[in-house]
Amino acid sequence: MAIVKMKKMYLFGLNEERDKIVGVLQKLGAAEIADLKEEDIDIDITEHKFPEQVGNELSKLELKLSRLKYAIDFLKPYGKELNPLIYGRPKTSREKLQDLLNREREVFDLIDSLSGLDQKLSRLKTEESRIRNQVELIKPWERLDIPVEELGETGSVEARAVVVSKKNFKAFRDKMAEKELAVEIIPVEEGREEGFLLIVYHVSAKSDIQEVFKEFSVDTERFEGFTGTPAKILAELQERLKAIETERQRIKAEISTLVNRLLDIKALYDYWFVERQKKENFMKMAGTEKVFLMKAWVPEPSVGAVKEAITSVTSAAHIIFTEPSEEDDIPVVLSNPRLVQPFEIITELYSLPNPREIDPNVFMAPFYFVFFGMMVSDAAYGLVLSLLSGLALWKLKLKGMGKKLVELLFLGGISTFIWGMIFGSWFGDLIKVKPLWLNPLDNPLAVLFLSFGLGLIQIYTGIILSAYKNIRNGKIVDALLDQGLWLVLLTGLVMMAFPNLTRIAKYVTIAGAGGLVLTQGRSQKNILKKFISGLLSLYNVTGYLSDVLSYSRLLALGLATGVIATVINTMARMLGVNIFGYIAMLLVLIGGHLFNVAANALGAYVHSSRLQYIEFFGKFYEGGGKPFQPLRIETKYVDLEV
Amino acid sequence: MEVTLGQVLALLGAAMAVFLPGIGSAKGVGMVGEAAAGVVTEDPSKFSQTLILQALPGTQGIYGLLTGFVVMQRIGILGENLLPLTTYQGLLVFVACLPIAIVGLLSAILQARAAVAGVGIVAKRPEEVAKGITYAAMVETYAVLALLASILMLFGLKLA
Repeated sequence: MAIVKMKKMYLFGLNEERDKIVGVLQKLGAAEIADLKEEDIDIDITEHKFPEQVGNELSKLELKLSRLKYAIDFLKPYGKELNPLIYGRPKTSREKLQDLLNREREVFDLIDSLSGLDQKLSRLKTEESRIRNQVELIKPWERLDIPVEELGETGSVEARAVVVSKKNFKAFRDKMAEKELAVEIIPVEEGREEGFLLIVYHVSAKSDIQEVFKEFSVDTERFEGFTGTPAKILAELQERLKAIETERQRIKAEISTLVNRLLDIKALYDYWFVERQKKENFMKMAGTEKVFLMKAWVPEPSVGAVKEAITSVTSAAHIIFTEPSEEDDIPVVLSNPRLVQPFEIITELYSLPNPREIDPNVFMAPFYFVFFGMMVSDAAYGLVLSLLSGLALWKLKLKGMGKKLVELLFLGGISTFIWGMIFGSWFGDLIKVKPLWLNPLDNPLAVLFLSFGLGLIQIYTGIILSAYKNIRNGKIVDALLDQGLWLVLLTGLVMMAFPNLTRIAKYVTIAGAGGLVLTQGRSQKNILKKFISGLLSLYNVTGYLSDVLSYSRLLALGLATGVIATVINTMARMLGVNIFGYIAMLLVLIGGHLFNVAANALGAYVHSSRLQYIEFFGKFYEGGGKPFQPLRIETKYVDLEV
Repeated sequence: MEVTLGQVLALLGAAMAVFLPGIGSAKGVGMVGEAAAGVVTEDPSKFSQTLILQALPGTQGIYGLLTGFVVMQRIGILGENLLPLTTYQGLLVFVACLPIAIVGLLSAILQARAAVAGVGIVAKRPEEVAKGITYAAMVETYAVLALLASILMLFGLKLA
């Protein structure tokens, strides 16, 4: 319970067995290989091309992985994947994997043909967009029934297909008329902003007309590369578009037949992915021509298993286990009772404990549990939360953080249910059940004091844990004078709140405050400074006061849930006048309460976390631990049996 | 029925408790949404994380509605008979609404700014989202305290 003790392992082995040894450790997943670079070792690794050779192997692996990844991403849209959250991940047996590795060449050939198909598809796409552009261009000329190659000069007459913007159109026409040129203007089509015209004129008028063209920025359409009437050209282009579409469908169908190989590709990817993780760790080792040295972190309970695993593959390895030294950056792994584990996520999201302090989870979990429920505080909401998260845990294949979070919600639901019974709230006031204690709406002050009380308990726990930390580090005097005296002072202040204790309270408070004034300046040398720092330390009372007041959110958020639930119920009741009203009422009730559960569960999660982070952890917790990340078989797509 | 100035004042308080934090939350949620949309353009898988951050400044609006509802309940507007409040009673209700009305408005916008910065955390280091959430939640404390003050005042008033 708490932070698992770590052992430092050094291993000497033969280079030729390195792969085997690291492989078996990876399979076991109980050792984190640490970088030897910072250690002072007498082996000159630069002399032997150790990292370089590993680097080459790695870059080869990298290339393989990127090609496999390409194929996976490319095939993905063509196949339907079973949702791994519901069906779990596909499994690949050892025989299948061996078979795949034997046929690896074939898989990579397949990937080659896939990238060929990919290129074809993108070529088709480029062509398609080019043709679509041409269609756009020629479309307005559809009604021009002259083959385009006949435009231009034919003896003494010229015919031009021109585009003129509409706002210039009239002026253009007037100008032509004004100059009395030998010209015929035949409108072909009217676009939204442009007019499309056929202009026929005698060559003698050419220079004049070109001047007018320039003046009104008239463009001549040349239909380069096309023959036949525009209508015919369009028909041909459409034909080609159809052909492209057919070709594309054919290629897609071809790809679809390859989709059943996707699983093979994924399995292969994962195999090499695991291999890369293993090889990456070689970079952290040191070695000579024949032997290598490796440093690793192993949790104490796994030491036996690690030894056994290594001796099972080699007899030529020398292993030493030592205690970590003072300056070692020890990775942290937590071990807590099953019930506390979901709460670890709250601490993890803040910061893991550093390896030399206490694991706060066991102390934090009960508070989190109680606070979460008190902030939602509705029995029916609790049931909904627990049922939904229970269902998710049962039906979905959750892992890691996600699983912990859902478990946390499940426990939070239970707490919410209990508090809901205490406060007599079932969907707000929808179902009237007598509260076990009282309804906070009737007596909010009682619940406010309860909130402060719970807060005080947590603050006391924090101070005591801080004292424990001092004692563990041998600073018993600090524990007594810092945390001890504060406890006395706070207790005195709390006792003041009870009328029949006021007289004793006075003495306790004075004793605590006096003690603090006399001792808090003990690190100062000057007597006057000692006294002043002692006096100033009393100012911390405000800190504790605001900490306690901060727990009023327990009441406030609890009230918020209840009142919003009541608002929903009131709105729903107003609707229940006829049959449609009843349907609307039902919708308002379901939607409203679901919204309220979600909003308040989020609020409870956030504020409950905050109380831990600021009010509780602030007293004693340092954090800053580095998570233990053992080398293990970690795959992306499939579960490999290795 | 004769309408008294007290009733108008009380209702004005309820209205302010609803609409001021409502404006603040709408603005706040909008600000975070804009920032979140930018992050999601780059990486759609960050939707759920940014959504939590976006929801945070939305609570002030809820607190405001809640306070408004408590007022409505206390002055009997939800039942058949609206209490015949005196001017001073109405003023008392009005004053009780002020904490959540004003703190709700301002804290929602300020919390949104912290949440927008939190969206920045999600963009670069999504594993640290809880820290961003905590920073934003620190601001909300004052909205919660204001809500508590308003509600305790409202429950404490003798109106009948």
